[in-house]
Amino acid sequence: MEFKDYYQVLGVGKTATADDIKKAYRKLARKYHPDVSKEADAMARMAEINEANAVLSDPEKREAYDALGRQAPHRPGQDFRPPPNWDAGFEFSDGAGAAGGPDGEFSDFFEQLFGRHARAQRAHRATGQHRQAPPDAEWGGAPPPSRGSDHHAKIELNLLDAYQGAERSLTLRGARLDDAGRMVHEERSLQVKIPKGVREGQLIRLTGQGSPGTGGAPAGDLFLEVQFKPDPRWRAIDRDVYQPVAVAPWEAELGAVIEVQTPAGALEVTVPAHWKSARKLRLKGRGIPAATPGDLYLELTVALPPAHSDAERAAYTAMARAFPRFNPRATPGA
Amino acid sequence: MTPAHNTPTVQPGELLDDTALFSLEDLARICHVAPGWVSERLEAGLLQADSLGGHWRFASATVVRARRLAQLETTFDADPQLAALTADLIEEVAHLRQRLQHLEATTGRGARPG
Repeated sequence: MEFKDYYQVLGVGKTATADDIKKAYRKLARKYHPDVSKEADAMARMAEINEANAVLSDPEKREAYDALGRQAPHRPGQDFRPPPNWDAGFEFSDGAGAAGGPDGEFSDFFEQLFGRHARAQRAHRATGQHRQAPPDAEWGGAPPPSRGSDHHAKIELNLLDAYQGAERSLTLRGARLDDAGRMVHEERSLQVKIPKGVREGQLIRLTGQGSPGTGGAPAGDLFLEVQFKPDPRWRAIDRDVYQPVAVAPWEAELGAVIEVQTPAGALEVTVPAHWKSARKLRLKGRGIPAATPGDLYLELTVALPPAHSDAERAAYTAMARAFPRFNPRATPGA
Repeated sequence: MTPAHNTPTVQPGELLDDTALFSLEDLARICHVAPGWVSERLEAGLLQADSLGGHWRFASATVVRARRLAQLETTFDADPQLAALTADLIEEVAHLRQRLQHLEATTGRGARPG
């Protein structure tokens, strides 16, 4: 297990006041907040900052952490094991998960010192003083039943996945209980079946893929929040899909039947005669599939053919002669 | 502890659509807050819910918003209304960024420098 220097994480000294810690935490939280940060490692940094704050902003945990540092001085990143009963004499209030961040995802270091299992062990040690714990129950035997915490992650999909469904491989940093009943972190791969009909911002639940429960209680769930990869071909708003489609000037004005490659497959579409700018064609029920499917909107734009040859230039000249009163700038802003 | 790589198992994802509604207690548990926290935000109009059979039911989109509100309030000791305003702005910025990306992709123009 790697030793974590929470003071270094927050960039404060060991004599920092509670106010100093709060200020440092908020400053870093603004910088690395996953909703606004452009840093590549924002999520990981935010988790680290939350964890450091969860310990240093809690007077009881901070005192115990400082005492641990004095008992077993270590440098950040160095392999570390807490001395037996390192926390004797300290009593932590509950709520480490809530204080450290809604996801309740902490490092091994935190889990071993302040996590749910550590609390269960402390509680059991305290009870054991009164009721003769068995000799092999160093870690407190069976901890009290507690459902595992839910985990949250984001998953990036293509819009086509919403139409067809998909299977994705995820690498997750999860936790499990080892033979001694300790919470250990590990990386694991998961093949996830994405059902069709998924929308941006929607949640996919993977039952039992969160943190393990204790004392026979069920594991938490993993919630995946769906995001679509940007795609120049189309975009989705809720269940409706918008797709730009270029048409030739003669198709736009005279009308035509054109074939369009859409996320719903190749479709034949009738372009009505007489062009109107910002024209959209609605294909009902061709948006993201669902019991009430969304609509597909084709956003028509006119593409002008470039005039390279004499014949092509002559065609434009003939068009200009055919429309002597046409003024494309007659409409303000056009 | 050395990280271990397990053999991937296929896990069916359950799509939480508009019919998969969460109870107030479910939402509170997922967001790591007390049920009272949810009730207060509901009464203040910061979270949306439907009433079914006398019980509040929350759509999955509300879970994302509620988690964001809880994070903002906890991290910055923020007033709930201020956290909700920030969440609204985050959602709006995300929407506008998506539109901008789409426009840049379709027109072939990048964002202006500066």
